[in-house]
Amino acid sequence: MSLKKFSELFVDLDSSNSTNNKIEVLKNYFFSNDPIDNSWAIYLLTGKSNKRFISGRYLKNLFSQIYEYPLWLIDTCYLKVGDSAEVITLLLKNKSTSRKKELSNISLNELLSKTIPDLSKLNEEEKNLQIKNIWERLPEDYHLIFNKILTGTFRVGVSIGLITKSISKLINIDEEIISHRLMGNFKPSIYSYEFLINKNINLEELNSKPFPFLLANTIEDKIFKNSINDFQFEWKYDGIRLQLIKRSGNISLWTRGQELVNESFPELVEKMSHIKDDFVLDGELLVWNFKEQIAFDFSLLQKRINRKSPTRSIQIKYPIIFIAYDLLEINGRDIREIKLENRRIELEKYFSKWQNKTENNISDIFKICDLIFPNDWPDALTYKEKSRENNTEGLIIKKKTSIYSSGRKKGIWWKYKVDPMQLDAVLIYAKGGSGRRAGLYTDYSFALWKDEELIKFASAYSGLTNIEIKELDKWIRKNTIEKFGPVRSLKPEMVFEISFEKIQISKRHKSGIAVRFPRITKWRKDKKINDADSLGNAYELMKKIS
Amino acid sequence: MRTNQEYLIRYKDGNLYCELADIWIDPSKPVKKALITHAHFDHFTFGCEEYISTKETAILLKERVGDIIKIKTFEYGEEFKINGINISFHPSGHILGSSQIRFNFAEEKWLISGDFKLQKDETCKQYEIVKTDYLISECTFGLPIFKWDESNKIANDISKWITNSPEKTSLLFCYSLGKAQRLLNEINNTNFKGKIYSHGSIHKMNNSYRELGIDIKDTIKIENKKKIDELKGSLILLPPSLSKGTYLKNFKNIQTAFASGWMSIRALRKRSGYDKGFAISDHADWDGILEVVKKSEAKNVFFHHGDSEAISKYLVEKESINVLFFGK
Repeated sequence: MSLKKFSELFVDLDSSNSTNNKIEVLKNYFFSNDPIDNSWAIYLLTGKSNKRFISGRYLKNLFSQIYEYPLWLIDTCYLKVGDSAEVITLLLKNKSTSRKKELSNISLNELLSKTIPDLSKLNEEEKNLQIKNIWERLPEDYHLIFNKILTGTFRVGVSIGLITKSISKLINIDEEIISHRLMGNFKPSIYSYEFLINKNINLEELNSKPFPFLLANTIEDKIFKNSINDFQFEWKYDGIRLQLIKRSGNISLWTRGQELVNESFPELVEKMSHIKDDFVLDGELLVWNFKEQIAFDFSLLQKRINRKSPTRSIQIKYPIIFIAYDLLEINGRDIREIKLENRRIELEKYFSKWQNKTENNISDIFKICDLIFPNDWPDALTYKEKSRENNTEGLIIKKKTSIYSSGRKKGIWWKYKVDPMQLDAVLIYAKGGSGRRAGLYTDYSFALWKDEELIKFASAYSGLTNIEIKELDKWIRKNTIEKFGPVRSLKPEMVFEISFEKIQISKRHKSGIAVRFPRITKWRKDKKINDADSLGNAYELMKKIS
Repeated sequence: MRTNQEYLIRYKDGNLYCELADIWIDPSKPVKKALITHAHFDHFTFGCEEYISTKETAILLKERVGDIIKIKTFEYGEEFKINGINISFHPSGHILGSSQIRFNFAEEKWLISGDFKLQKDETCKQYEIVKTDYLISECTFGLPIFKWDESNKIANDISKWITNSPEKTSLLFCYSLGKAQRLLNEINNTNFKGKIYSHGSIHKMNNSYRELGIDIKDTIKIENKKKIDELKGSLILLPPSLSKGTYLKNFKNIQTAFASGWMSIRALRKRSGYDKGFAISDHADWDGILEVVKKSEAKNVFFHHGDSEAISKYLVEKESINVLFFGK
């Protein structure tokens, strides 16, 4: 089986907007290819750990060097295309002088397990020569895939869900099983693909793997018609969602992004392993302020996330806690089909048992979430408004009679977030977008007044409709004061309402403040720049909250 | 160096203008005398006292806007004089009747390329190389990422696209004048032998092409409320203006595609909202523009239409060609 098939698959997936179509295309692909190529295809399509072998910049430099092509011209092209791998692919067209395409039958497996990894063994000169060789010997139709894999930017509009569905259809096994098997690190091999499509469901093999996470939907008005007593209320913590698994004595910490993060949080692994029972818990990992019994800011958690094997002093400086809100499995018994209210009873029961009977004190690193009991919906709203006081994002509202199903099923869990904070700011810079937004100015910077001066305070690129983006793009081109590379400084004229989740002091920014998740919520065409907010307003907002 | 006013042809109010002949080229607002390079609407405006074009352009224009306009026509290569300036039309290969316009005055030759392409197109005359001192060239696709495939390859891709989904109705969006006829001509040579329908605006242009002696495959004019089963597996050509809005609700189980040079960029393809894009254009690609610049032997080149920054810099740096810019 050759790269050709995968190349065709890519084109087919890329040129369809229909989910059913994509599932059908995938199913046919998996049906007609061998297991090893299938496993690589899944690996690439799920984009789980697409490794970058060389950077986009390196690729552009290399092309410029080989074909004596001005780098500035490649960069200009990039502004239109938004992807280095694609720019080079387009420029490579008709460049190759060799007629013979020795690599036209190369398999996906050979390319990914040998040809590309082998590049890392070469010194720079050899590597460059080898890439040139591959370009010349590979048919043009495969250049895009090759370049994208090389730069670690292979992406196509396929979710894990679609792959799960297509495999499930292909072999007639429940999606849940496939989804479970696809969790965690999917290592491409004949074995991993055969395990995926194995019709015998072997529980032991699934042992360390998490259950598919149940996700909350944004609240809808219709919920308020229900009785408040139908729901369980919890605070919505702003941490890392984790499934904490102990099976056959082994602990595994799984994130929602299906990463195993045991190494980043060794103290949690150590403490939890003293518990005698086996279990699967669903909950949130936070850096915890033990004095005030509230979570620290997410920024502190960030200092822990990417650090493997943290030192003892880091562990003390950023103390973590795992707050469990659900029990999914206990001593090998899957209880996801039990009603939430009964799972909660089990969770409380086991938690108090563990607290009393475990040798080491576990309560300094593990607790279960407190429940909130609003009297009615207006009361719930009051709680929600108070959530900033305890550093939470709002409420999670769960149907008491619901089972723990997978994915974002409607009507089971709702998130009810605090209204965002907002400021009206002036657009001062724009930058070209990349990927899907290439060729348009879609990355914006906004400023607030400080006396007579506009000071940049946030950048945002989401929130406008496609029509607004095009309209604004036109305006930007006509109202540019200066160009610096891909960035344009603009005539201060446009005012936008910017919403964000958090505001705090920051020494790194000229404005002295930093906001989290800034996004555009309204194009205030009704406002003149003098109506925009000042930095003073931002500081007041910050005071009001803390 | 001359100032803007001293050039034979210059930019005035965003249009090309020759002061000595008091004549405008493809003006965007009503003027006394207008030379029209071709019959696309972005090169035409109502209300001029007199239009001058090739015979084919005149016929196509009248078919589109009615008999109300006054057009004087000339053959390709036929020189005519206005205020002592010799002017002639030459094939530009863009669509049927499309032309470059040459100005010849006091030993100085100027050439306005009009919209042009070098690629094979059996529905119009091949681009003619014309030598000049000054060249004013379009550069809609003035970046090296634009390199067109042979049109028969694209036609085969289209044919495959239709026949691979026999259960679906394939809607191909394309400009109704020029592109549609070129596609029909090319698709005729592919393996696709199913029915082809075309929208009224395209159907009308097909007939005009035929009357002008171009062999265009017969298509069925698409009527509203066609039986859905009848359309299964067939190809329907529609103008891009119908791709948004309710028109598509007339069909069931469709796949859509857009035929345009812009479709060679993935981001634009994705953003366009069509399922698929076929990169076929009636404009020159990067190599095409460079070839024309070189073969015209022009010492001085101006660009208009599109982003000219990159190609200008490239010609100056790599080919040592003098690129000039019109003042505003």
